[in-house]
Amino acid sequence: MKQFQYQRASTQQGVLEAISKPGTKIIAGGTNLVDHMKHGLIAPDKLVDITHLPLKGITPTKTGLHLGTLALNSVVSEDALVLQKQPLLSMALKAGASPQLRNMATVGGNMMQRTRCTYFYDTTMPCNKREPGTGCGAMEGYNRMHAIFGASAQCIAVHPSDMCVALAALDATVIVVGKKGQRHIPFTEFHRLPDDHPELDNHLAKDEMIIGVDIPDNNFAKNSYYLKVRDRQSYAFALVSVAAALDLSGGTIKKARLAMGGVAHKPWRLFEAEKFMEGKSVTEETFKQAAQIALQGAKAYEYNAFKLKLAPASIVEALKQASGLA
Amino acid sequence: MEKEKNHSRPVEESDVKDNSRRDFLKKSALMTAVALTPVAAAKAAELHIDERIAGAFEKMPLNVEINGVAHNLMVEPRSTLLDILREQLDLTGTKKGCDLGQCGACTVHVDGHRVNSCLTLGIMVNGKKVTTIEGLAKGNQLHPMQEAFLKHDGFQCGYCTPGQIMSAVACVREGHANSEHEIREYMSGNICRCGAYPNIVNAIQEVKEGGMAI
Amino acid sequence: MTNDHPTSGITRVDGRLKVTGAIRYAAEYPFPGLVYGALVSSTIAKGTITGINSKAAENLPGVVAVISHLNAPKVPGYQGKGDEDGPVLKTFNDNKIYFNGQPVVLVIANTFERAKYAASQIKITYQQEKHQTNIEAGLRDTIKPWGDGSDYVRGQANAYQTAPVKIEAEYRTPIHVHNAMEPFAMTALWNGDKVTVYTKSQYIKGMQREIMSMFNLPEENVTVNSKVIGGAFGSGSPLWPYAKAALIGAKMIGKPLKVVIDRGQMFTMVGYRSPAIQKLGMGATADGKLVGITHLATGETATYEQFAEGITSTTNILYDCPNVNTQYRITKLDLSVPTYTRGPGETTGVFALESAMDELAHALNMDPLELRKKNYSERDQEENLPWSSKYLNECYEMGAAHFGWEKRNQKPGSVTKDGWLVGYGVSNGVYGAGRAPCVAKARLSADGILLIQSSTSDMGPGTATVMVKIASGIINIPVENIKFELGNSSLPAAPGEYGSMTTSSVGSAVYDVCTALNEQFNQLDGKSGTAHPDYTRILKEHNLPYVEVTHKSQGSPDAQKFSTHAYCVHFVEVNVHPTLGTVKVTRVVAALDGGKILNPITARSQVIGGAVWGIGMALMEGGVLDHRYGKYVNNSLGDYHVASNADVPQIEVLFVDKADPVTNPMGSKGIGEVTIVGFAAAVANAVFNATGKRVRDLPITPDKLV
Repeated sequence: MKQFQYQRASTQQGVLEAISKPGTKIIAGGTNLVDHMKHGLIAPDKLVDITHLPLKGITPTKTGLHLGTLALNSVVSEDALVLQKQPLLSMALKAGASPQLRNMATVGGNMMQRTRCTYFYDTTMPCNKREPGTGCGAMEGYNRMHAIFGASAQCIAVHPSDMCVALAALDATVIVVGKKGQRHIPFTEFHRLPDDHPELDNHLAKDEMIIGVDIPDNNFAKNSYYLKVRDRQSYAFALVSVAAALDLSGGTIKKARLAMGGVAHKPWRLFEAEKFMEGKSVTEETFKQAAQIALQGAKAYEYNAFKLKLAPASIVEALKQASGLA
Repeated sequence: MEKEKNHSRPVEESDVKDNSRRDFLKKSALMTAVALTPVAAAKAAELHIDERIAGAFEKMPLNVEINGVAHNLMVEPRSTLLDILREQLDLTGTKKGCDLGQCGACTVHVDGHRVNSCLTLGIMVNGKKVTTIEGLAKGNQLHPMQEAFLKHDGFQCGYCTPGQIMSAVACVREGHANSEHEIREYMSGNICRCGAYPNIVNAIQEVKEGGMAI
Repeated sequence: MTNDHPTSGITRVDGRLKVTGAIRYAAEYPFPGLVYGALVSSTIAKGTITGINSKAAENLPGVVAVISHLNAPKVPGYQGKGDEDGPVLKTFNDNKIYFNGQPVVLVIANTFERAKYAASQIKITYQQEKHQTNIEAGLRDTIKPWGDGSDYVRGQANAYQTAPVKIEAEYRTPIHVHNAMEPFAMTALWNGDKVTVYTKSQYIKGMQREIMSMFNLPEENVTVNSKVIGGAFGSGSPLWPYAKAALIGAKMIGKPLKVVIDRGQMFTMVGYRSPAIQKLGMGATADGKLVGITHLATGETATYEQFAEGITSTTNILYDCPNVNTQYRITKLDLSVPTYTRGPGETTGVFALESAMDELAHALNMDPLELRKKNYSERDQEENLPWSSKYLNECYEMGAAHFGWEKRNQKPGSVTKDGWLVGYGVSNGVYGAGRAPCVAKARLSADGILLIQSSTSDMGPGTATVMVKIASGIINIPVENIKFELGNSSLPAAPGEYGSMTTSSVGSAVYDVCTALNEQFNQLDGKSGTAHPDYTRILKEHNLPYVEVTHKSQGSPDAQKFSTHAYCVHFVEVNVHPTLGTVKVTRVVAALDGGKILNPITARSQVIGGAVWGIGMALMEGGVLDHRYGKYVNNSLGDYHVASNADVPQIEVLFVDKADPVTNPMGSKGIGEVTIVGFAAAVANAVFNATGKRVRDLPITPDKLV
């Protein structure tokens, strides 16, 4: 790891000033950043430590719940308000990483996680995300973990987060701040698809920082489920994951929210499938049809073709669990 | 190990003068450039020329309480808590298994919470309390979790064991030891290649059921 | 504290040091002036180095030296032969690249951080050559690793084809990486032409010899310390390239040097289990009597060194069968050399053999356990020798009863529980119970302390603990007064800690030396045959500070008249998700014939450990290469999955616990290896029973069942 300067920020303004200079990065939990620095993926000149800023709170708002960007993944996952109002988020967080890592990782840091694509991590391999223009090692390589939705000719990597899949499903909003002030970004529009710029994971400007996430109140608490399918039973990234949330009235689906992880460069919200389910009755057949709709446009590569089967199966299973049909 | 007594003041952004260190480091690089042959370089290292340069310009004060003892250290910001413990303080009980947060062998408690010390920059625990495996027993009296690991043979080679035990203590304290299933899930951040998992689970259950204050 | 329970034995004598973090592993000796080495690996699989630009690295603060073939001194042992003892990769000898991830430059600095960063700044240019790392491609170009001994025929070759019921199948196992939790490390200190190293070694005397031959040094000039090992599983025997680099580097700079390889380097620098492609043909009469077995296996090796292991050997002996032909080949690839990995050879071969038995049982519509019993071999048909002891039937009986095997449904896919498919599987494990010559020294002092020494090591099973247990059965003093010292090359010569031989070899030496010690005391006392001499009285009466005996033990020639093996039968229950394809191992019963079990508490842990390895092998482990680069794409513990706590249920361990009359005076048979052999087949067989899907290429990940 290259030597760098370290600055402990005591104000938000101080952070914004620091990151306006090139070569400066924000550090909070550090679980992904330090990992990147050890791998030589980035070599910042300076880190600005934001963990002393008062952005840890989990607080009720008029319309929902606010998570400070520094709220720890472990704390959010066990928070009484989160468990009561947004159990899906708790489930997703608990499915991620390990207890130790969740004790370090923050809400903002989780959103800023970068892909775990092996070609991204290995500086001797080509990767357009790490080094634009070098090519995509995964496209013709070992792409078992890779995207089936929204990939580009430049990049087929997936976003690794579980938390973000739940937040995408729950219509959350990201609050960011820059020199020009605050902006609110719908969660589903925070992360981006690779297109011609796979080096960009999201729409946060270089001189902006995340300060929190708002989750609107909903009626999903009773019928939500986070399903994570992985190669071992814990402490592994998703082959496929599904966040399913239903608002049921008797046997009828009033509202549905559905998002997937492990399938795209961003948390993959399944709007069409949701729309299809609304007004339909809670049956396995409804879920199977929703899964079929969800898979429209999916494209597999040499080693991840199984996801074309696993993804719909996971959607059906998550919906069954969420609805109590299982 | 380097200790410096006069640095108890936390460093805030006003302390950082962006360019002075960089410039000096460049100069120091030029200075060491004369010492290219191994023998000459070894001599330079022996004279601690680099240390004095880098110590003054690249290191920062770190005040941290480790196992109840206050330490006033000078560290490079890039040094992880794990490397500081092992290489500077000779607290080698905390293990390096992967150095990437993928095995849990480096688990320590920071302000009572279990974390991976390999991904924790040492400078970021300034002002905090760190507990390592060496700080768990009270003198000769082992911590109940250490006793339980012994009794249940919760290890073989012993390399992951300090991390397992630190994690196990946290697992009980967090309230995540209510069933075998829950223990397994909440202990899954600690890889054991010898495969002592069932014995580890049994050890934790015994401590949990014993109801002792840990 | 060691507590002696009659049924469970003694807890680990070094346990307290391990649970307090006080015990020091190889990388944890803080010598004054210690400097740190970081290795730079090749990034091509085959070719030559054309240039190394180390200027930027050398200019960094704290950098002491940059060492490569360009400036390393000639190593005496690199000239001519002298390669018999281990890998022949001559680190820093020339510019040749044999595999991606080969150590080519050592950067030394005065802190770990500086060494690591400086290493990242080394720029190497290569002349690349076309490489081949794919065993599938290598199938076309194989060699006989053991000449004619690579083939075996009993009766008629391919006789299975004539049987009324027959199966043919092809099985694939991937690379398995040991991934011991402790990264390999060596701290080397030169003092003139004497060198002392702190490292992990399963074979301390062997490593000493390798260093002696590398630098042309007499035995007394080389000291190898390996007091405790953070796991090795077969990877810890040779003097690997990283260690050669440490030795060369420390000699060049004249300072104590520590080289620790990182997790990624653990995949290319310290061996792995060879992948294999195996074809099985098996035929039986309609009532299940085997007619013939054909087993053809291909593994891989490096271009610069040959490695071979007994993949087909179990097939020659496990079942009573008149016609058996086996064939073993290896192909040379541009990869680092494989090495022994827990249950070497057998683990790979028995996965195929025991999967095939299950396929045959299904074809016969016969209970797979019944098929095994029906073909029970009463003697070693390959060597034409009787078994020294074989309690495999007892394992079947007690295991099946404990597991509830009778509840197994013969029809696959017919049992569900809570929405999951449930399946039962069984498999045999077999492993030779060998023994090698070993020397031990025992000294009983006036203070009542018995110190026994031998240069063996402990990679985890609890070597010292079982030795203390053995000694405590002969020398009648409190168990806590018995000390066993290991882990240093200056101690009496012991064989390597591998092949499930340590308890048998070193334990026999301990048994014999303690017996001899009793005799010495009896002689002093003018008596003979007293089992419990009054040691302190005798020492006092003769005014002696201690009595000391050194004894060399080896198996009796009579042992050659028997074929000696340990057995393990695994009964496994799995749950398979019907639509997601995820597999959970929910129950395991392991029934073992390991001869007399000397210290049940630690023996049980070894069996559990073998099962956990088996779960990993069956469900998740596999090194994956991108053959375009000849490089691993999962060289981390995040991407190469080993079993986590959540993957492992309670594992029930049953011992037959009957002494073998031949192996050694204790009657034990080694159990470290046999506990993994066959396990993966038991899982695959259970998955078949649950789903009707036969997975023949490991690991059984969800993509193969969805």
